[in-house]
Amino acid sequence: MKTRRLTELAMLTAVALIIFVIELQIPNPFPIPGVKLGLANIITVYAVYHYRPGEVMMVVFVRVFLGALFGGVMSTLIYSLAGSIFCLAGMIPLSRVIEEKYIWLSSILGAVLHNIGQITAAVLVTQTLGVFAYLPFLLVSGCLAGAFTGICAQLILKRFSGKAYH
Amino acid sequence: MNQKKWLFLICGVLLLAGVIGSILVLRRPRTSQVEIVQDGRVLYSFDLSSEEDQTIDVEYEGRVNRIEIRDHQIHVLEADCPDQVCVNMGWLDSAAPIVCLPNHLVIQFTEGSGSLDAVAG
Ligand SMILES: [Zn+2]
Repeated sequence: MKTRRLTELAMLTAVALIIFVIELQIPNPFPIPGVKLGLANIITVYAVYHYRPGEVMMVVFVRVFLGALFGGVMSTLIYSLAGSIFCLAGMIPLSRVIEEKYIWLSSILGAVLHNIGQITAAVLVTQTLGVFAYLPFLLVSGCLAGAFTGICAQLILKRFSGKAYH
Repeated sequence: MNQKKWLFLICGVLLLAGVIGSILVLRRPRTSQVEIVQDGRVLYSFDLSSEEDQTIDVEYEGRVNRIEIRDHQIHVLEADCPDQVCVNMGWLDSAAPIVCLPNHLVIQFTEGSGSLDAVAG
């Protein structure tokens, strides 16, 4: 891996980590972790379109682990991890099909998948299917938050488009 | 249809399904049968309409959730969990269960009477 690329990835991870830890300060009224803006998703969708799958996974998983560590929320690591796995499993193939100009739409799908992953982890932890009752709320919040973070990612892309990127 | 229309349609369906589902979940269930479940095991099952006021302590790895039944309603009065989400959720009044993820505890309305075995594997 070239030094430049490694530096870019490290920077993306650092930015995502900062966003993630700041967002942790906002309380979530729902019992299922996942009803939130997921601002770190901006970095994920950006990375999905500009880096190789392995590199994207590195950025996301390092952020998830360090985020849980720095945020002092190791107990919720399993939910972020499940969410990220679902999100990446969907987003990486989708980014091959969905053009980058529709990045906000693939961001919505990524956010929804992320939330489905989190609620699945919650169902497995409690071993109670009734917890799936929160899925509709998570669908709505995933669509809204995904659209928001996707639009943010699109604005960032516009900024970068003039620069010597690729 | 082109790609953009497909994507819009899928996202629209997801949002609509979420909104309709949320409305359905938020309605108060007709049943007054409630169960307290931990790790998938039904610990208590009772009919709120005939249950006396009481508090029940449920323990998980040394941490306790104190569940209160008052005026035929149920909520978590206090809990040793770090997030206090279960306490903040207030009274159980919809199909969305009260959940304490750290203590693997779920309080939910259930169809029929008696305890349900093996709700989930
Ligand atoms: Zn709790």
